Amino acid sequence: MTNFLMQEDTVAAVDTLTKSFSQKWDAMDKIDSASPILQMAASHDLIFIVLGVSLIIWFVLLIFLIRLDRKVDKLEQELDNELK
Amino acid sequence: MVAVWLTLVIIFGFLIKIPDIPILKQSARNLFLHVPMWFTMSVAFVMGFIYSIRYLGTPSREIDRKAETATMVGIVFGICGLLTGSLWARFTWGTWWTFAEPKMNLAALAMLIYVAYFVLRSAFDDPEKKAKISAVYNVFAATTIPFLLYIIPRQMASLHPGAQGNPAFSEITAVQLRLIFYPAVIGFIGLALWIYDIVYRYKTLQDRLEKNI
Repeated sequence: MTNFLMQEDTVAAVDTLTKSFSQKWDAMDKIDSASPILQMAASHDLIFIVLGVSLIIWFVLLIFLIRLDRKVDKLEQELDNELK
Repeated sequence: MVAVWLTLVIIFGFLIKIPDIPILKQSARNLFLHVPMWFTMSVAFVMGFIYSIRYLGTPSREIDRKAETATMVGIVFGICGLLTGSLWARFTWGTWWTFAEPKMNLAALAMLIYVAYFVLRSAFDDPEKKAKISAVYNVFAATTIPFLLYIIPRQMASLHPGAQGNPAFSEITAVQLRLIFYPAVIGFIGLALWIYDIVYRYKTLQDRLEKNI
């Protein structure tokens, strides 16, 4: 019994998911005490989160494209060397 | 065509009026971005799976190259899915990452399994050996995906829709959201096929150049 209680106590305060069916959502309740950047991101009904998600996809694809670009450059150089 | 289609999807994804859902609020629009990432990843991995099986039947460098390219594209979209999910989770569930959420962690595990595919590939110098062993590995990797992303998360308590005790996508998703969601899935799969084609052409050229040297 005591063991069980101790486990309950060690659950991190920020983790709202351990009791997954809990009706209490701490994420937005505690947003007032979060950092200003997080507060700004959460403003306007979370629309900036959608922007953030779009940007993540864009940047991951961008990094992939830049790497591909470099590889193609390398291939072109090799081809030039061949022809010489 | 893919470019125009996806541009329209993104524009309308931001502009349409969506029903007010508590907690999610406007971030419900992430449905058009986060979820298609996983659909696209699955399509790419299925392609890799099919090409790997075909390679085992009739070994050829082209088929191996196709399997490798499809898997690579799948990983890129999988990474997008993980990162976007993490950001979304911070503002709706209250944490960037949690070990209480099975789908999140098993998706990360699936990514690691697929990264190992490329680690394995880089371990061989002999191209035929490389192709054969990585094809066998890819068949294994692809068979873990339905278990990791679908079967196990559905049995466990999870905040993702469709888990035990939670209503599934088809029961809770509003019609307006679906109107953009399905075109978004098609659009991102189209984008993935386009990227796949470019990478495949690059690899073909590289292979031809190496043969000439």
